[in-house]
Amino acid sequence: MAPELHAEAGPAGSSPWRLAFRRLRRNRVALAFGGLLILIVLFVLAAPLWAKHVADTGPNETHTLEKIEVDGERREVVNVEGRPIGPVWLGAGGKYFLGADGRLGRDEMVRLMYGGRASLFIGFSAALIATLLATILALLAGYYRGWVDAVISRTLDVIWAFPVYLLGIALGIALALGGLKLGPLEIPSGSIWITVLIIGGIYVPYMARPLRGAVLSLREKEFVEAAVAQGAGPLRVMFRELLPNLASTIIVFFTLAVANAMLLEAGLSFLGVGVQPPDTSWGAMVGDGFDLLSSAPLLTILPGSLIFLTVLSVNVFGDGLRDALDPRSKVRLEAHAGLAEPEGTAV
Amino acid sequence: MANAAPLIAVRDLRVGFATEGGLVQAVDGVSFELVPGEVLAIVGESGSGKSVTAQTIIGLTRSPNARIEGSAQLGDAELIGASESELQGVRGERIGMVFQDPMTSFNPVYRVGAQIVEAIRAHRPATKEEAHEQAVALLDSVGIPDAARRIDDYPHQFSGGMRQRAMIAMALALEPEVLIADEPTTALDVTVQAQILTLLARLNRERGLATLLITHDLGVVAEVADRVLVMHEGRIVERGSLDEVFYAAKDPYTRRLLDAVVRIESAAPLRPPRSGAALLEVTDLVKHYPARRGLLRREAEPVRAVDGVSFSLRAGETLGLVGESGCGKSTLCRAALQLIEPSSGSVRFAGREIAGLSRREMRPLRREMQIVFQDPYASLNPRKRIGQIVGDPLELQGVASGDALREQVLELLGRVGLRPEHYDRFPHEFSGGQRQRIGIARALALRPKLIVADEPVSALDVSIRAQILDLLAELQGDFGLTYLFVAHDIGVVRHVSDRIAVMNKGRIVEEGPADQVCERPADPFTRKLLAAVPIPDPHEARARRAAAGPA
Amino acid sequence: MGAFVLKRLGGMALVLLAVSVLTFLIFNVIPNSDPAVRMAGKNANPQLVANITEEWGFDDPLPQQYLTMMGKIFSGDVISYQGQEDVVSRIAEGIPATLSLCIGAALIWIFFGVLLGYLSAVRSGGLLDKALTILAVAGISIPVFWLAAILLNYLAYETELFPAQGYVELTEDPLDWAYHLVLPWVTVAVTLIGLYSRVLRSNMLDVMDEDYVRTARAKGLNESQVMRRHVMRNSLIGIITLFGLDFGALIGGGAILTEAIFNLNGVGQYAFESIENLDLPPIMAITLFGAFFVVLFNALVDIAYAYLDPRVKLGSATDG
Repeated sequence: MAPELHAEAGPAGSSPWRLAFRRLRRNRVALAFGGLLILIVLFVLAAPLWAKHVADTGPNETHTLEKIEVDGERREVVNVEGRPIGPVWLGAGGKYFLGADGRLGRDEMVRLMYGGRASLFIGFSAALIATLLATILALLAGYYRGWVDAVISRTLDVIWAFPVYLLGIALGIALALGGLKLGPLEIPSGSIWITVLIIGGIYVPYMARPLRGAVLSLREKEFVEAAVAQGAGPLRVMFRELLPNLASTIIVFFTLAVANAMLLEAGLSFLGVGVQPPDTSWGAMVGDGFDLLSSAPLLTILPGSLIFLTVLSVNVFGDGLRDALDPRSKVRLEAHAGLAEPEGTAV
Repeated sequence: MANAAPLIAVRDLRVGFATEGGLVQAVDGVSFELVPGEVLAIVGESGSGKSVTAQTIIGLTRSPNARIEGSAQLGDAELIGASESELQGVRGERIGMVFQDPMTSFNPVYRVGAQIVEAIRAHRPATKEEAHEQAVALLDSVGIPDAARRIDDYPHQFSGGMRQRAMIAMALALEPEVLIADEPTTALDVTVQAQILTLLARLNRERGLATLLITHDLGVVAEVADRVLVMHEGRIVERGSLDEVFYAAKDPYTRRLLDAVVRIESAAPLRPPRSGAALLEVTDLVKHYPARRGLLRREAEPVRAVDGVSFSLRAGETLGLVGESGCGKSTLCRAALQLIEPSSGSVRFAGREIAGLSRREMRPLRREMQIVFQDPYASLNPRKRIGQIVGDPLELQGVASGDALREQVLELLGRVGLRPEHYDRFPHEFSGGQRQRIGIARALALRPKLIVADEPVSALDVSIRAQILDLLAELQGDFGLTYLFVAHDIGVVRHVSDRIAVMNKGRIVEEGPADQVCERPADPFTRKLLAAVPIPDPHEARARRAAAGPA
Repeated sequence: MGAFVLKRLGGMALVLLAVSVLTFLIFNVIPNSDPAVRMAGKNANPQLVANITEEWGFDDPLPQQYLTMMGKIFSGDVISYQGQEDVVSRIAEGIPATLSLCIGAALIWIFFGVLLGYLSAVRSGGLLDKALTILAVAGISIPVFWLAAILLNYLAYETELFPAQGYVELTEDPLDWAYHLVLPWVTVAVTLIGLYSRVLRSNMLDVMDEDYVRTARAKGLNESQVMRRHVMRNSLIGIITLFGLDFGALIGGGAILTEAIFNLNGVGQYAFESIENLDLPPIMAITLFGAFFVVLFNALVDIAYAYLDPRVKLGSATDG
């Protein structure tokens, strides 16, 4: 009945996701750094294996007064002046591969691997929690508007008003050292979850604000009205119409959150209010190594480099993701100190 | 006029752009001349290359992805391939340009006067005060009241029509020989459009300009053009004087275009007036939005979007609702459908009061009334496949599921002129016209009794409009639908409606059978609206202008 | 405009109130232990704890405690029990160093951030753009305290190119003052240069696509005029507002680690030491001090934005 109608270019049925995936595949640099990230993850996952089979020690076992055999020679792990042994490489069969970590004589390589687990775990989990919470709050505030929006926005504003670092420190002191007891929720002090929750909570406003803006403008689009005209209720509109169109933004925000969360955790642990002993993280290790900076700089350089490389990989890959998902992205992190602004970095 | 030396001579212009999908040849061998004192219109649909042609003449399309060949001469000077500084000397000084959207074409952070002064001082050694005075005089000459005060306003403080006048003033500030106007009235209301066109014609005469007018609207062409070029897919397919093109077109595409233009004179096939019970009865419907002003003064005058509207719609008929932007017609439809909550008033559907019903109560009634939207790009969820978009209402209302659902959707797609393989595709794979068809299929899915069509063809090309209107008419017969047809173009409305209601500032100012409203309008606003609509027929346009007297 | 400013300042006061309540809750209510004991710190003994309880009113109902705490902080009546010193005057002593660090770093990061962002945008897609992007991303990925440590070790201790630590008063010896601040300035600026160049690049690329830039060209303005008056003017709005927020955050406690590592004796370092010693009174006071700056600059930014973008200040179109 109607004249021949042509569909536009592009293989038929290419969902926006598939198109994005194809674009990502073409981005060599992003893929390379994505690969680096995977290598780092594998590295830290291998921690128990290395500890058991190669180094024959755990991350917290001290060997202050011991001696080991290096290339036939017997050497002290920590000498009389308190100086730890430097990188031994394979001289002792893998033990003290990167040396000892100071007066306590712990195996630096083993600590790096275990510390990495904490750093990565906290980074990803905090980012995940922040993203989930921010998405829910943004959907609620943006969809219902009115007093719901007012309450949510004001609360977020108060958190936002706190300098990120001081807030992290304040909460760290309060909770990491004293434990958290919030109704039925009880977390003992020193648990890694405290740090996760603190960092996750801190980043919620930074993500929720731009997401809320995106929800507000999406909400005005006619396809949302169409859904309402068909009888769709709020939940259906939020999850079937709004959320899928926010997905790519949320993913990009998530990667940025991981980068920032890792940096914030590193700073807090460096200060001593993040990860608590006996756990360790790369940030804490930088803190530990700081006192021995002139005599054993490697103890500072190594964990810091790992933080740098990991965050760099996440950032580059995240950039690549953003270019692939939304080449002409108009939803931006707000000029008002969005996630691109590493507020979590202590300067 | 025809024998004067050409001001602009374009020879074999070609412009191609490198895109992700390959080389797109936007302009494919275009040649024409522009002589002093005439208005030359280049008319075409979207993608025809008319805007690219105009912008290429002054070098605005230069970029690393663009390949530009051919020649465009201004007098003796060759513009294609000229250096940037040579072009800067030409732009504004010898060729002035007016763009489509004056809101975005002005820099929002500078005052209007400052931007005009900037244009003047870029070419003349005037002091700020001198340039300022000139700018005030310019604004005055284009009909901006109280120019001396308004010159210090920011662009967003002007209304749309005023902004475009200011834009024209700025383009003519240095008294160029040529004015290029790229869709200058497309973003404006019909009544404002008429004023701007009159202004352009007057300025062209008074200043001895040559005007190159780019437009998609044949009515605009018939009102002001001396000669016409028709462009299609990068080429000129028809050229001639105004009368030649309109009355003796040789090219088939031009003929199709002319036929497709819906004219106010063309009456819809006579349909017997509907009788019987009213399907939709709206009484004293009001929708106010609270406005807040000032630091402490919390409630100011509310914005009266819909200010006491009453009408009724009988089963099977089409009521055309026409008005300019901001008159409240969109708000009215949504309030009637309970998509937004009315402030007060009554809405009865099939005898039942629905104003103020809760969402739950309204839910089953939603099957009876649906809506087709204006914007083909925003009305479909980009992340859903077509099959899902059309099938969602069926699933939501529990009418069908699984295979039965799929079958019904495929049938609907067929009804609106799409094919089964489109089922799994995404909206971005379709053209504007196709997307509207999808929107119509979605609206039909639940077999509603009433469909509100909110400017369903405004965003479409002229040749597609007729197809969609025909589709809607056909479906009305097949499905026994009642339409509330909203538009700002009274010509379109006339063509499809049994009765017409004219809206202005939140109220219905006139209502009656379509013929009557269009031929014997009672209300002054209706008359103004009708008088402003450009007639795509040069003889009649001339006759109307003559009857109206000197402008 | 005046009304807008008043409204904004009023909002600021409310937020500060909320922040102070939150601070109070964090320090005194949420943790599981006796606040007086925590405050007494390492030298806790029953007598001291009793004194503290009395002075801070920990036996009183919560709202009363809050008022007492605020009263003490604002009247400067806060003493660190561990350090045996007056907290507020110690904070005041540290302000010059903190300001020197923040303002100097700010000038550096704004200058280079804008410069590099501009170059990236006008040569977008080219080699320079790619190189600058890599640098920028690297910049925002570096943990700043680590960078400080590295610079300190290699440029100060090992090679003695720069003084290792310490802060010299500006009034004493301007050259030496600057010399001691070079490394800290670089440390703070590196990350922010990376960020700002990317934000500016992004803003500029968006603005260059706008219709009004096309109009500017069509008027016959030359490229430099188009860039300066239209592209930069509109792109910088976002940068300026971002800068206000970052600067506020920086003064408000962002510089803690840099100050500590370079031993600048500013407010940040005081915070650092207090944290190490778990000395609560200074931490509370500094937290409020920091929050005040953040909120102040938030409000200033909003006001500046309204000034720079007339659409915000003047509201919607009038008919005409």
